[in-house]
Amino acid sequence: MLTKLLKYDLKYMIKNMSVFYILTIFFAITTRLLSLPEQSIILIILYKISVGCLIAMIANIVINVAMRSWVRFRDSLYKDESYLTHTLPVSKNDLYNSKFIQAIIFLLIGFVVIILGLFIAFYTKDTWNVIKAFMETITSGVNMTIAFFLSMAIIVIFLELFNAIQCGFLGIILGHKRNNNKVANSVVFGFIVYLVSQTIILGLVFVYGLFDPTVMELFKTGTINVDVNAFKVLAIVSSLLYLFIIIIMNVICKIALNKGVNVE
Amino acid sequence: MKLLEIKHLNKSFGKKEILKDVNLSLTGGKIIGLLGKNGAGKTTLIKIINDLLTPTSGEVLVKGKKVGIESKKVISYLPERTYLNKQMKVSEVIEYFKDFYDDFDADKAKKLLNDLDLDINEHLTKMSKGMQEKVQLVLVMSRAADLYILDEPLGGVDPATRDYILDTILSNFNEGASVIISTHLISDIERILDEVVFIDNGKIILHSDSDELRKKENASIDDIFRRMFKC
Repeated sequence: MLTKLLKYDLKYMIKNMSVFYILTIFFAITTRLLSLPEQSIILIILYKISVGCLIAMIANIVINVAMRSWVRFRDSLYKDESYLTHTLPVSKNDLYNSKFIQAIIFLLIGFVVIILGLFIAFYTKDTWNVIKAFMETITSGVNMTIAFFLSMAIIVIFLELFNAIQCGFLGIILGHKRNNNKVANSVVFGFIVYLVSQTIILGLVFVYGLFDPTVMELFKTGTINVDVNAFKVLAIVSSLLYLFIIIIMNVICKIALNKGVNVE
Repeated sequence: MKLLEIKHLNKSFGKKEILKDVNLSLTGGKIIGLLGKNGAGKTTLIKIINDLLTPTSGEVLVKGKKVGIESKKVISYLPERTYLNKQMKVSEVIEYFKDFYDDFDADKAKKLLNDLDLDINEHLTKMSKGMQEKVQLVLVMSRAADLYILDEPLGGVDPATRDYILDTILSNFNEGASVIISTHLISDIERILDEVVFIDNGKIILHSDSDELRKKENASIDDIFRRMFKC
């Protein structure tokens, strides 16, 4: 049943997100076409507009994945559509897992489209060499390869964004357990859950720091002039902690959902 | 085995008690009218049976099992509002029902929609609320369920459509199944009811065979209702 639920959740997201993907690629192409070496003033203005639109679309993708995931979650589980969703012969766990997987998939697709858009718009051998040289400066300082640095950066950003989306899910579940002001309560609970999750991660990093002096230096000095290995460790530890928090929150969401809903 | 058993059911929203110690037992093969004034607790009771509300206390059993996946397999529910995803076409909604309900008869649904001159390739957004409600009724009645629960199926429709809706219900529900119809338009459905359940102020105040009640009171169900709930 999970695959069937997922099929419809993905269809909904494709219908709503594809326009942003198309626009991102469109503005990436126009940016590329307008970035000619010798240009008239009009072409320069159009180039600037195109770059602006591309950046707006990239921001839009990230914001929209989160917003659409939350709206879909709320509409499907607590608004009119929930009269169908909750009367389907499927478990509450499957209902939640479908939304959970759908958010992961569309966050991943968003990342791919953003990287593709940036590649189309700005890639040249010279640009790449400049970026590579810049990266080498950073990575050599923190004792990492460029591939490792980029992978860790993408993983941490992905997990952070996904954690924020799931905090929103839990906020919606808790907000709809109240009898009044369900939307306002959902926003407040979502924000509180997010703050709590960040505090727990920070607390766990601190606890880890008690056993690893290189990481503890970050807390003691408050500057980045610490052992280069600390960043490498920190990137790995924070990724694992985000994963841990995401799994714990997934379980909490399912427990809360399984306790039953009160649809308006 | 009872088709539906409700034991000591209570539901409150904060301090407000909506259902108070509701006990009810229904068997198969009956058309039951769940009758009561607006705000009597009919929809709350139906929503609890369909897992849309969580009871404060008490128990609901459908064919001996608690409300859950198994009960949803045998209950076909028509809510009082339009619940379909408006972005879908009618044909996609049919596919949706086919995907999730093993007892859904897609051919029957298409035939009924065709009889109503409803285009299955049309988007739900382009349909009026009344047309969407007809689509919902067709979908619900195209299931071979054991229990059909129809919440205010006649609300807000003209008398001619009411007759059509009642005919659709009568000619399409699964043999041996029961139908619970919640309404306050009693005179319209009186003729088809086998049993009546009167609910008032969150309590079941009467559960009786329709014919017996009519004989005993020497009046129609509608008259009895008016007498009992006189303001």
